[in-house]
Amino acid sequence: MSVLQTASSAITPFFTSLSSGDEVPGSTSILGGGGNSVSFKPAHVNESCLEFLIMEMVDLMYRTTVDSENDKEAVYYKLEMLGYQVGQSLVERFTRDRPRFVDTLDVVKFICKDLWTIIFKKQIDNLKTNHRGVYVLQDNSFRWFLRMSTESGGEAAAKKAVPYLWFPCGLIRGALANLGVISVVIAETNSLPQCSFQIKIAKS
Amino acid sequence: MSDIKIQSIAIIGKQNNPLYIKNFSVFHPDLKYHYIAHTSCDVIDERVGAAGPEAADTYLGLLYAMEDLDVYGYVTNTRVKFVVVLSVTNPVKNTVMKNLFKKIHNVYINQVCNPFYNLDGKKSIVSKRFVAAIDAIGITPSDDDVSP
Repeated sequence: MSVLQTASSAITPFFTSLSSGDEVPGSTSILGGGGNSVSFKPAHVNESCLEFLIMEMVDLMYRTTVDSENDKEAVYYKLEMLGYQVGQSLVERFTRDRPRFVDTLDVVKFICKDLWTIIFKKQIDNLKTNHRGVYVLQDNSFRWFLRMSTESGGEAAAKKAVPYLWFPCGLIRGALANLGVISVVIAETNSLPQCSFQIKIAKS
Repeated sequence: MSDIKIQSIAIIGKQNNPLYIKNFSVFHPDLKYHYIAHTSCDVIDERVGAAGPEAADTYLGLLYAMEDLDVYGYVTNTRVKFVVVLSVTNPVKNTVMKNLFKKIHNVYINQVCNPFYNLDGKKSIVSKRFVAAIDAIGITPSDDDVSP
């Protein structure tokens, strides 16, 4: 479990400094540990580091999961739980100065606009709902997919990219959970770099 | 800037479970502040319910006053409640209290970002850094502005 925890602890400081600074080529950083330092200048982090970490994280889960029976389940569970905890922390930090949320739609809109901007520097392109607790978030150029491709391309590439969506699923679920909305999040992609997340909210 | 004396800081979780209650006073026993935190839960739920659908502030202001103690409340968007008990003689400005709650919120946020902290568990917070930070706030509430 310690690998998971170091991975998620490395990710949260990246996001806090990314929210205020951009890619700084060639410079390494002091991982600004969320404001513990005396001077409050935001530390800058190279975005490539984050992307490499995300890529390696998925690979790590596959490598370290030895139980061959429920391989896929275990990897999914680990990545999603990792995302869950990071999502909770992110939301805790970034809803601090915000007025209270009115209803579930407000919470989902916050995720589509503010949270997505913080993590991926863009908003969700399309939000659909059936007004009965199901929301579909569509991102037409998912930032983490922008540099992915395979030889064959097309469908096969999309299938291979699915494990990289499990961490963002967890992010969304964690963010919702910490704001008081219990949900299930499923992601799918038909062609890179487009992807969509389906949120099913538990009836209360 | 009035000289406020913090008697107790309490942090109550989403399911109204106590996360951390610290008693700074010498006059009253710990139990009294546990009672105060418990009653504050109800008052906060009332206030939040009464505000209804309109988006209200996170700072709730003076919840209620007892003999010599004033109880102030603050709710985060993640439904975590902070309760601060003061013993004051002069009225305290809103800005001072808001700053205080902002500081407590910052300390709480840092605790949540700790990957070893399980947010969904109902246990109280035992991290040394958190405890030390809350103690520092309680003992010397300074008047300077909190930076985000």
